[in-house]
Amino acid sequence: MMNKTVKWILWIAGFVFLILYPKLFGIYYSNVFVTFAIFALYATSYNLLLGYTGLLSFGHAMFFGTGAYGTALALTHISGFPLIPALLAGVLAAIVLALILCPIMVRVGGTAFAMLHLAFGSLLYVLTLKLRHITGGEDGIGGFDIPPFSIPGIVSFDMTDPLQFFYFAMAVLVGSIWVLWFFTKTPFGQIMIAVRDNAKRVDYLGFRVPQTKAVIYVFSGAFCGVAGSVYALFQNLITAEDGYHVMTSFAPIMMTMVGGIGSFFGPIFGSAIFGILEELTTRYTERVELVFGLVLVLVIMFAPMGFVGTVKIIKAKWFTRQGV
Amino acid sequence: MNILETQGLYHDFSGLKVLFDVNLQVEAGERHAIIGPNGAGKTTLFNLITGTYKPSRGKIVFKEKDITGEGPWKILRQGMGRSFQITSTFDRMTAFQNIRLAVLSTRGIRFNLFRKVDSMPDITEEAEEILRRINLDSDRDTLAGNLSYGKHRSLEISMALATNPDLVMLDEPTAGMSKDETHYAVELIRRLTEGKTTVVIEHDMDVVFSLADRITVLHHGTILATGEPCDVRDNQAVKDAYLGEMGGEEDVCY
Ligand SMILES: Nc1ncnc2c1ncn2[C@@H]1O[C@H](COP(=O)(O)OP(=O)(O)OP(=O)(O)O)[C@@H](O)[C@H]1O
Ligand SMILES: [Mg+2]
Repeated sequence: MMNKTVKWILWIAGFVFLILYPKLFGIYYSNVFVTFAIFALYATSYNLLLGYTGLLSFGHAMFFGTGAYGTALALTHISGFPLIPALLAGVLAAIVLALILCPIMVRVGGTAFAMLHLAFGSLLYVLTLKLRHITGGEDGIGGFDIPPFSIPGIVSFDMTDPLQFFYFAMAVLVGSIWVLWFFTKTPFGQIMIAVRDNAKRVDYLGFRVPQTKAVIYVFSGAFCGVAGSVYALFQNLITAEDGYHVMTSFAPIMMTMVGGIGSFFGPIFGSAIFGILEELTTRYTERVELVFGLVLVLVIMFAPMGFVGTVKIIKAKWFTRQGV
Repeated sequence: MNILETQGLYHDFSGLKVLFDVNLQVEAGERHAIIGPNGAGKTTLFNLITGTYKPSRGKIVFKEKDITGEGPWKILRQGMGRSFQITSTFDRMTAFQNIRLAVLSTRGIRFNLFRKVDSMPDITEEAEEILRRINLDSDRDTLAGNLSYGKHRSLEISMALATNPDLVMLDEPTAGMSKDETHYAVELIRRLTEGKTTVVIEHDMDVVFSLADRITVLHHGTILATGEPCDVRDNQAVKDAYLGEMGGEEDVCY
């Protein structure tokens, strides 16, 4: 009972914190926070594969980039296209990509899975650079109108206003992370974890492993697409570099590893850690990747379970010491 | 009536002939033991029947339906459960979660994305009931990988039974167990397979003689003899293959 009350208080505190955040920290840090939340969703969706199903992909930028380009293209070419359909266009594009790839991807695992993603990801990166008339090549697509979020005749929020965009982005991103969290708690979520543990036994319990993986794959792709779409709206620009580059594929891997691979909230902490690191590093140097790489190496060597895992270990130690 | 039949089953692993014209017949309701020396092809026969591999030749008929070449998930849904010689549970999940997955499968809950699994009281209750029956309720929240060997094997066996199959295939359920653990496991199997058809691969002749209604002897990939325990033991070909060392309590046969 107590636990439930604490949970509610935490939820409400988190909610109030988000509402007050822009007032407390100003617009600049609100934008930093939006970036953090975008990558938190991206990494959390990715973690459905890496952490929950045990599949390592080197090309998940595909879904992030496709979500972003889907939204950007819709807004560029269709005048007066509303906000939510634009968002959904990006997500739908990511889902279609996931549906195209999943018949192959659910039947391979391990190295083949990782490398096929690397290959397809690189292919999309090069295509995006080459198909200049569609994608804008290296310059990407930018400067499209960001429509207001409006319910006709009732309200209309101006999305070019950073404060109002902040709340819109939070609603979408936090809502999405909640859906993913719920996903892991459903009966299907249990089957997902079981696939990671022992796919053969899942088969022998009467569940169809490839189909199960396909649903997870499409789910993961869809929410990477949400993150990408919000990213495009937020930046009002998407380039091949940000959307499809292999570094964009590695971002969620690093965040998950550093934040804690064995936990739902690990990637969120990972995104926060990288956000803070980037913020601090760029004050002194442009070489952000150097710091990221160093942190990753240190984590793998000294805290392989990442931030959340380490906190859990310390907590366990602390409590046993108190108990003695 | 035969619940399971293999007709002229052959299998080879890239040239290595492992099974050779195997015609196994399992009657509905019986406990059928498969015995044979190491490498005879017993596990391979199980792998063919339960869908791990497709046979090179031959047919598998289960409940009068041809199931040759169907995958494990499909065969399970038709009512065949299986346990493994090498324990194969979800080791990073708790004993309860292991059993709960079997319960979800039995109820056909596969793609449910709209409810929390923890707030399905009937599922929880059924899984806990099964845990009680196998005396694992005190280990409800222990990770399967952390269970003691005997308990881990119990979990393995009950995973095969938790989906409530008509035919249970147990591959050396007592493998690696101490005398006491074996005794306990045999009682467990006897209790849980009441009213079902069971096929069990077993090396321990005491176990075979105490459990089985009929025995099939597999030797070098082919069936040497099949029949009631005492007939099989007195069979000359079997005696030769086993050098007369088949064991089993003498008095059972007289
Ligand atoms: N996947 C495989 N690939 C190649 N050869 C295999 C494979 N599985 C089994 N074999 C071979 O097939 C033969 C029969 O093996 P199987 O596991 O069926 O024997 P078994 O009767 O179950 O023996 P045991 O009593 O030791 O469990 C052995 O010679 C084994 O080496
Ligand atoms: Mg074997």
